[in-house]
Amino acid sequence: MNVSVKSFAPTLLGIRCGLIAGLALLIALTTLGGGAQAQGEVGDRVRKLVLISGAQAADPQEFQAAQLIAQEWRKLGLEVEVRGMPRPQVSDIVWYNRDKWDVTMWRMVGRPERSDPDELVYNLFHSTTRDKGFNFVGYANPEYDKIAEAQRSEIDQVKRRALVYSAQDMIMADVPYLFLVYPKNVVAYNSGVWKKDTIVDQSGIGIRNFWTFISATPVANQKDMVLNAAEAMNAINPLYISGAIDSWVTDLVWDRLMRVGPDGLPRPWAAESVTYLDAVTVDAKLRTGLIWHDGKPLTAEDVIFSFEAPAGDKSPMYKPFVANIAGIERIDDRTIRFRLKAPNASFFTSTLAKINLIPKHVWEPVLSGQQLQGKTAESYQEQLPVGSGPFKVVRFKLQEEILLERNAAHWSAPKMDRWILRIVTNTEAAIGMLKRGEVNFLSDYRGDPKVLEDLAKADAAIEIAATVDMGFRFVAPNLRRPPFDDVNFRRALMLAINRNLMAQAAWNGYAVPANSHVSAALPFWHKDDAFKPNIEEAKKILEKSGYKVLDGRLHYPDGKRETLSSLN
Amino acid sequence: MPLILTRLAQMLFVLWVVASLLFYMFRLMPGDPTVAYIDSTFTEEQIQELRRTFGLDRPLHEQYLIYLRNLIVGEFGDSFHHRRPVLEILIDVLPNTIILTLSGLLVAYAFGTVVGAWLAWKRGTWVEALTIPTVLTLRAAPEFWLGMVLLAVFAFKLGWFPSGGANSPGATFPSEFSRIISRDFLWHLVLPAATLALYLQGLPLLLMRSNMLDVMGEDFITMARMKGLSSWSIIMRHGARNALLPVVTAFALGFGASVGGNVVVETVFSWPGLGKLLVNSIAASDYPVAQAAFFLITVVLVTMNFVADLIYSLLDPRVSHGRRH
Repeated sequence: MNVSVKSFAPTLLGIRCGLIAGLALLIALTTLGGGAQAQGEVGDRVRKLVLISGAQAADPQEFQAAQLIAQEWRKLGLEVEVRGMPRPQVSDIVWYNRDKWDVTMWRMVGRPERSDPDELVYNLFHSTTRDKGFNFVGYANPEYDKIAEAQRSEIDQVKRRALVYSAQDMIMADVPYLFLVYPKNVVAYNSGVWKKDTIVDQSGIGIRNFWTFISATPVANQKDMVLNAAEAMNAINPLYISGAIDSWVTDLVWDRLMRVGPDGLPRPWAAESVTYLDAVTVDAKLRTGLIWHDGKPLTAEDVIFSFEAPAGDKSPMYKPFVANIAGIERIDDRTIRFRLKAPNASFFTSTLAKINLIPKHVWEPVLSGQQLQGKTAESYQEQLPVGSGPFKVVRFKLQEEILLERNAAHWSAPKMDRWILRIVTNTEAAIGMLKRGEVNFLSDYRGDPKVLEDLAKADAAIEIAATVDMGFRFVAPNLRRPPFDDVNFRRALMLAINRNLMAQAAWNGYAVPANSHVSAALPFWHKDDAFKPNIEEAKKILEKSGYKVLDGRLHYPDGKRETLSSLN
Repeated sequence: MPLILTRLAQMLFVLWVVASLLFYMFRLMPGDPTVAYIDSTFTEEQIQELRRTFGLDRPLHEQYLIYLRNLIVGEFGDSFHHRRPVLEILIDVLPNTIILTLSGLLVAYAFGTVVGAWLAWKRGTWVEALTIPTVLTLRAAPEFWLGMVLLAVFAFKLGWFPSGGANSPGATFPSEFSRIISRDFLWHLVLPAATLALYLQGLPLLLMRSNMLDVMGEDFITMARMKGLSSWSIIMRHGARNALLPVVTAFALGFGASVGGNVVVETVFSWPGLGKLLVNSIAASDYPVAQAAFFLITVVLVTMNFVADLIYSLLDPRVSHGRRH
């Protein structure tokens, strides 16, 4: 062994000499570079930026938009790579590795409870949700926090709107998001089966909604509505928020004290009236003659139980919606009084129109008994769910079909006989089914809207409805990482994106340009803002803020070092 | 007896390896089961609570031991998304998958063996020149394409068969068994089973044909001819019986492979089966369902392999499984 080491020694020595020489050269070069920089007043070259997007196959529109955006940004001298990834992987990086990524395509989806702006105004940008919650871009602005908190406790709608407006102004100025579009939901139905004027368009949701399902009136003998869903159901459970498709069903089977109406505003439902006594006291008066699907009467005790059950640890997903309730009191047979911990403007939408009324005689034994074996109520699936809503469950197979029938005893009984939701995984087959009448309400369509449009042109009975969604698509920059921590840089990137082009080219016209986190689908809350893309203006802003383009590549302002590396 | 015991031990070993691979494979995949809940009103505390509920807060090796222990007693755990025992969910879709697979396979193999044997007899004729390319084309065509063509022609255009699902909307049956034997169910089964059969018939057909060609050259066939037996009798009683052996193995293995491999057919025809469940659960990082489904497929595959070996030695006594006396 010794011998061999000795024989290698000279070589090692040589390598070491080489290393030292190289190091010296490197130091010399770096010093020289530093000198040059002092003269030219240029920072380091901006690293290659990776724009994360959903995979092309899974979300062609988003991927297409990302390509268009990268193209524009390259004109500013940036090196941009679009990287498509499976959705779970995108979420994993963006959500759980908040200091690793540069910029990503993202979306917020529309849901009835988002017709109150509170959730999006507060959760998306409040600094308390920065490290682990919704504020994944890392926006922190004490001024914004104040406004977000103020609108939450302002009961007066007009004053509150002024606050929501200034929240929108602030976001437009600070550019924590680069807005793209509000997509349109496209669904269709057969007007030969359902009377046109009985189909209800709900603001920000579209025609696939609760109000359509209770009012749709058959034209002739076909009295069953057959709908489709592109993915399987997870559970049918009033204490478990298990998925979008499931929520269509829970909406119909369980009543709530209030419901979000077609206009996007909450209105009394199982309650005949709901009144504020003061900012923290609310009285709800029940309708008369409410009964459960099993024939037992629905009482004030049932209502109190429904709001108290999620407060424990058995229904964690609904718990936040009752967290603001300090106490519930039974005033008489029909009146229930809620006392709140703090004034809350969205109490109607996010609590009274959210919590499902559940029968105490069914759920109390479940929640207190041995059946759950230490698990939560989410793991309990009723064989035949019991609610009080306008539809009753007849039977269901989560992978296949759910069959509901009209509840004739309901005060707002549906006009149709049965509501049948089929799981159809093949988009083309779903269209074929609509054409052939195997499905008469295409409730879940994820294909190209153009195809549906052509079908409607060929068949007069097929009606399409496209509704601007209250969700939105945007580019999310990571404000924790330079150069995205610079508002001028973000503004330049925003100016470089042509939102009209996005709506036309990436979303085929089935979208409208977006400018705010409060969607145009919520006309009462949405603030309009004329925005014009302008790449020259973008270049000017960068130049004014000290960025320089050398050899076609963008460099930081004077003295600024590149300390980060691109996403692997 | 010792043969069966050794084989059983081997099977158990294979199952253990597969179970372990499955466990680590899903956990090494990017994405976390709680990611599916991000886009909702969830707070960080709730996400942590979810992780505790799913047992994901424990160290990996601990999760692994719990998983193995549960597996031994046949406990697959609860689905993250359905929050129900995995077994219940599997049992919902298993009959559909088994019936679809079996009917597709049986048609494919019955057709394949008979036509394969017949083609061997017709070697060198125009029949062969016409049939072989057709068979190869069908074998090479992607399954989803075959399925879409059948759908476009027989469902959308002619309207002879429904465009998807296993039963008509709202159809009600007194029991699961009466559902499966109902005309409604069979009517829905035709197109998916035909797609599967078209896709699978190539292997048994070509296998049978080439085996027949080999067998037909053997001495005992020449002997049979010399005895003056009819061609039918020679093909079926002497030739086919011997040529059938590898086809039997292929059938057994094909069954195992198809149980899990029906994803495409199931998706095209919205057939509520195991393959679709598997894809959904992987997309949603629902580990317990994905693990159990894959494990089940492995069990079927390994068992069918074992059965094929046993049948083989019954059909052909020359296969002695290493016993030399």
